[in-house]
Amino acid sequence: MKHVSLKETKNLKDQTRIDFKMVTFTLAGKDYGIDIMKVKEISKASKFTFVPNAAPFVKGVYNLRGDIISVIDMRIFFNLEAEEAEGNTENMIILRLDSHVLSVIVDSIDKVIGISSETIQPPHPLFGDINIKYISGVVENEGRLYVILDVERILGDEEQVDGRTVESISASSISSAAPLSVQESTVSTTGNAVKEDVDIGFIEETLITFLSFYSSPVNQEWIRSRFSAWKKQKGEDVQLANVQDAEAYLSPFASPFSGSYWNSDFAEKAASFLPADHTGNFYIWNPGCESGYESYSVACLVKNRLPDVHLRIIAHDNDLIRISTAPGLVVNQASLGSLYDNFLTEGSRGKQFKKEIKDAILFEYHDITHDNTLPKLDMVVMRDTVSYIVPDRQQHIFNTLEEVMKPGGLLILGTHEQPINPGAWEKVENSGVVAYKKK
Amino acid sequence: MRVEYINPFVEAAYNIMTEVLQADVERKDLYLKKTTQPVMGVAALVGLAGDVEGRVLIDMSQDTAIKIASTMNGEKLTGLDELAKATITELANMITAQAVTKLFDLGFKFDLTPPSIITGENMSVSNANVEALIVPLEMPQGLVEINVAIRERA
Repeated sequence: MKHVSLKETKNLKDQTRIDFKMVTFTLAGKDYGIDIMKVKEISKASKFTFVPNAAPFVKGVYNLRGDIISVIDMRIFFNLEAEEAEGNTENMIILRLDSHVLSVIVDSIDKVIGISSETIQPPHPLFGDINIKYISGVVENEGRLYVILDVERILGDEEQVDGRTVESISASSISSAAPLSVQESTVSTTGNAVKEDVDIGFIEETLITFLSFYSSPVNQEWIRSRFSAWKKQKGEDVQLANVQDAEAYLSPFASPFSGSYWNSDFAEKAASFLPADHTGNFYIWNPGCESGYESYSVACLVKNRLPDVHLRIIAHDNDLIRISTAPGLVVNQASLGSLYDNFLTEGSRGKQFKKEIKDAILFEYHDITHDNTLPKLDMVVMRDTVSYIVPDRQQHIFNTLEEVMKPGGLLILGTHEQPINPGAWEKVENSGVVAYKKK
Repeated sequence: MRVEYINPFVEAAYNIMTEVLQADVERKDLYLKKTTQPVMGVAALVGLAGDVEGRVLIDMSQDTAIKIASTMNGEKLTGLDELAKATITELANMITAQAVTKLFDLGFKFDLTPPSIITGENMSVSNANVEALIVPLEMPQGLVEINVAIRERA
């Protein structure tokens, strides 16, 4: 019950096509971008090995896991003010150019931004700080203007740049010329941790761009553990380059039976959390119900366990096409499992749920990021849904839950999700199925 | 908004518009709006009561309203006079009434209030805690939005 199903990419096609991604950073307070295909990785380091007689913008050489690469200070190269980095640890972008690998120092590294290459505009001839021939374009994103640097032109081989022969700073010539001294630079362990944070940060940004999946306290634990597995699988090349990569990264996120009927075993385990005796009204909220499969499953499992309650399920989704079919859902499967047998009936159009089940569920076309008007709730089933909502609305939804849920009310989230404010909930578990009871 | 309510309103709005204007009406994608929404300039309002509570708002710009009223009356109107206003009011009544009839056939009971018309610049409408379904219809006379906000009676 995701707002954006992994298999469904049609929504993405409706948006502007993202075909150009860049790593953004700042130099002297201004925003710049470099084509992500040129970026090998991001790193922090200090203590570069000084190379005598090199141009002033060459900071030195640096040992990147055994490869000696040259380090260029972008700020000095472009005659900008170079502020001393905190603790002398510089932010580096390591570039893989056609001919060699080298590293540039920038003020701070921001994030990865995906844009449509059609929105890139040619540079204006009056750009002051950086010579126009090094700029491949200018693009606006979320109110900020990014100057896209043509790194191949600036730092590529055999280019006469501003009278400085860049060839002389290529890695090969330096590694032979400069003896490595005791100052040999090393990436500290904290540097590695920072790099991992930056990598995860980039992945989080990419997941938003491609699948509108938002990282937040709800799913952060999973994202981090998934990153380790992803890194093992992919090696150094951890970035998500396209929708397929993003889908692959997110594929283990989906909970069992997400967006489909729950099997009897799973429903049985979920039902074990329900109170043994309950009379009167029993209100359930099921946001992100998609075509209603899970709403019907929940209705059957509650009716099975608590036959006498007056059951009311409020099922919401903002995908009109999917939810339109939910009220008159026809069951195509031969059997859904023993749980459902008592609740199905042959109708004119095929097998359908009985009236008592249908009448219990109110399907509404509703966007849960707007205001939610809800009665006092006994149970909430919200699986793989909040992760697809912007974080401040996630917070808002959890606040609503804490407000409208009865004490002891049951919250079922996606398998890899957890409540934002764990203090308000008591975790209960039955052989792998987890739920949260409101304190 | 309950899923079953959506189609009757979309169909009624489309049918009535096509019928009275004898023109090509194109339905754009439906969407939901938060509680406070700007109104284009001329808004005909019909209240709903019964199993539910809510209202239907037929919203268009003044220019569109004059053009639609002109077509419906078969004469060229120059301003939003009494005749034009009465025509738009009637239009709102026809759309809502047909939708309510369709809903009755599905087993939902709705009552209507008499339509009223509101005109002005820079207006907005809010409904406490109900989001509105917007059905945009594009026609030669301009854009008309059918704005439906209904909630179940608690």
